[in-house]
Amino acid sequence: MAKPDEFKPDSPSENPKTEVDDENGDDGYEEEEEEETEEHELDEEEDDEPEPQLRGRIPQSAVRMQQAKLQGLFQRLQTQTVPLRVHDVLIKGNTKTKDYLIESEAALFKNCTTMQQILEVSRAVNFRLQALEIFDSVKITLDSGPPELPGTSNVIVEVQEAKSPLSGEIGAYTKAEARSSTVEGTLKFKNIFGHGDLWDGSFAYGWDNLAELSAGVHFPRFRGASFPLDVRAFLLSQDWLQFSSFKERSMGLSVALLSSTNHDLVYNLGWRTLTDPSQLASRSVRMQLGHSLLSSLKYTFKVDRRNSPLRPVRGYAFAATSQIAGLAPDSRCSRFLRQEVDLRYAIPLGILNSALNLGISGGIVFPWGTGFKTLPSPLPDRFFLGGNSSPISSLGGPTTVWGYRTRGLDPTEPRRQLKSNGGDEDAADPGVDFLGGDLAVTAFADLSLDFPLRWFRDRGIHGHIFASAGSLERLTQNAYKDFSLQKFVSSFRTSVGAGIVVPIQPFRLELNYYYMLKKFEHDRGKPRFGVTFSM
Amino acid sequence: MEESRDGDWTLVARKPYFGLPTACPVCLPVYIYLKFARCPFNLEINSAYPDSDQIPYVEGGTYVAYNNEKGGVIQQLKQDGVVDLDSEFSSLPEWVSMKAMMSSWLADAITYELWLGSGENSAKQIYYSDLPWVIGKVLFVKQVYDVKQRFNISKQNAEKKEEERMAVIVSTIASANTMSKNKLFHPCRPTSLDADLVGHVLFTLKALPEDSVIRAALLEHGNLVRYAERHKNDFLTSGQSSASASNFQPPPSAAQASSKPKRKPKREKTEEEKSFQRKAKYFIGAQLVAVLLFLSLLGSSSKADLDEDDED
Repeated sequence: MAKPDEFKPDSPSENPKTEVDDENGDDGYEEEEEEETEEHELDEEEDDEPEPQLRGRIPQSAVRMQQAKLQGLFQRLQTQTVPLRVHDVLIKGNTKTKDYLIESEAALFKNCTTMQQILEVSRAVNFRLQALEIFDSVKITLDSGPPELPGTSNVIVEVQEAKSPLSGEIGAYTKAEARSSTVEGTLKFKNIFGHGDLWDGSFAYGWDNLAELSAGVHFPRFRGASFPLDVRAFLLSQDWLQFSSFKERSMGLSVALLSSTNHDLVYNLGWRTLTDPSQLASRSVRMQLGHSLLSSLKYTFKVDRRNSPLRPVRGYAFAATSQIAGLAPDSRCSRFLRQEVDLRYAIPLGILNSALNLGISGGIVFPWGTGFKTLPSPLPDRFFLGGNSSPISSLGGPTTVWGYRTRGLDPTEPRRQLKSNGGDEDAADPGVDFLGGDLAVTAFADLSLDFPLRWFRDRGIHGHIFASAGSLERLTQNAYKDFSLQKFVSSFRTSVGAGIVVPIQPFRLELNYYYMLKKFEHDRGKPRFGVTFSM
Repeated sequence: MEESRDGDWTLVARKPYFGLPTACPVCLPVYIYLKFARCPFNLEINSAYPDSDQIPYVEGGTYVAYNNEKGGVIQQLKQDGVVDLDSEFSSLPEWVSMKAMMSSWLADAITYELWLGSGENSAKQIYYSDLPWVIGKVLFVKQVYDVKQRFNISKQNAEKKEEERMAVIVSTIASANTMSKNKLFHPCRPTSLDADLVGHVLFTLKALPEDSVIRAALLEHGNLVRYAERHKNDFLTSGQSSASASNFQPPPSAAQASSKPKRKPKREKTEEEKSFQRKAKYFIGAQLVAVLLFLSLLGSSSKADLDEDDED
């Protein structure tokens, strides 16, 4: 593995490039950073003082001198600013990888003016180059600059490209197209064209009956751009028969146009098909079965200043996602606007590492275009509340009200009633379809605190008491005319509970007891013990 | 949610075209049958699911009669006691045999003509004109393949199948003509057989092109054409009848029926559709060019910055 920070300065007598003290009135201090073996060989070459070279042994006086120099250097680095600029970045070892890729990652060096900065940037550049996943090792070395330019150094970035371009992974992820966390297996081909390109084929399975087969390519810096480019072709299948009597199948293309710490811009082009193999769907679902073309831009802004997403004790998080669909001249595409907002705030209480977490999430979806007031919103893009994930960790819009099962909140509609084989009597009740809402709001308050026993504290296991509320409302097809804030507030379902949280990186496992304070007739929730699993 | 639809029946069918209330050869007989039953029903259009075998279907409250169950929508409506116009005639052998010929031979011949013969453009207008171009194209190719598989047609036996089809068409239409002369079709007491006949004849005359084989064979039998035209005038000009619904049972009560948007049939203009297709192709091409330009400009500007620093 690379050791970019390993260096040993030579004594002034040993290294003619090094400038000592203020002999020239120059406070510049050049040092050489090498590996131990190279250092040892250099010492042997430049050693003017003849000393007995015993095989495998370094004279003690030389060792003491080196140690003294190192201590002096460290002291100087800690107490003084050592001016040093980078003259040039030399790249070695890349036979396939394009120079621009490594140069762009190492571009941070050009702004360095001190030795300390160079060391810090070396660490960062090493990390970024390793993160490209195309190198087996990365080694960054500092060398002295040209003699005519005092106070400069050259940075040598030596990479060892991955011997095997093929690798496989199994892990838990959240991707652009996935609506929930997934477990997936991936096969990757690395750096085929030398642009740091990562080609992968993957299969993913999500908690809510989601199965996805996809293939994609990732360019870390396509033609020098400062952000990566991700293009992904996907085939996705999601089974909602149990909850809403339809299955969704999508195939298409997803392009991540912008991806950074806080911003994500993704374009999706997909062919979506809703089917009902059971032929039990309610009327509202039957109307939505068929094919549609989705061409949408989705922008996400996210900032998370909490100390930990798994157990936030202080800080805040904010996320907003805007999606506009129908970006095509063809009016036959699916057209809607969708907006989600999440806000989380953690307040430390100071006792037993306790904290009060507050959160609110909201979302709205509405069609646009000719006759939008009478059109329904697309069923897969509506908001559904309920499920087995914790609202504390996730910032994906209004999705969860503790205690309610997946898609367990009204509005609902009766399914098709079948006649039994016997005659006029109806067959068993087929139940209802959960239709989701165009407007959704959820809120929660969670008090977490450590257990008194150290065994639990050492493992991060803690307890929590919580309360949550949420509601859904239809707005489309002229339903917005009947909307009133008072009625919406009165339709909030509420639940309370308590439980134990077990953080298993990167997951958050909760063992809770839920109690519903307010629920409606068809809501799927009742007092019970339950497990919540999220990441 | 609106609850004003209690007691209403709805027929969900393909879009109207060629002057027909629904241009699909499977949906039209069902529409005509319900018109014969003289009970008010609403017509809703589904243009998003052309490859569904569930359509047409009749729904009322929580009751639904799908096309792919129990022998079809009409058969299911009879079995479930919703509406039965065939009770007096279903025991007549001639009626039964003619019904079988109509619902199998003639229906298959029309299907063949529509997807594999001269009716290709008609099929695209009826089933795919409301879908985005790419989806419509792929579904059409898939449907043609499925029809070939269904009729077991290959390059080797295509000609032979065509000859067989011709023979079937001629014999079926001739039989229908004979039956009409023998008063098997009852204009005053129509049955599902009348609905099939009228539906198939109207579809053939209106939706299939002039060089269609079936159309040419049908035009040789004027009485069938006149019979169908008369019924067409009746149900197209009468609108929804408010006569007594003695033949039509009310649907089961629909608890909490949701609001139901009526999909109004779109008036398709051929020129507009062509311009949409052109615009779609230009849009995709422009997007690709824009993305490539954007990336190359970014790359060149970053490179220019790096070069400037190197010169320093």
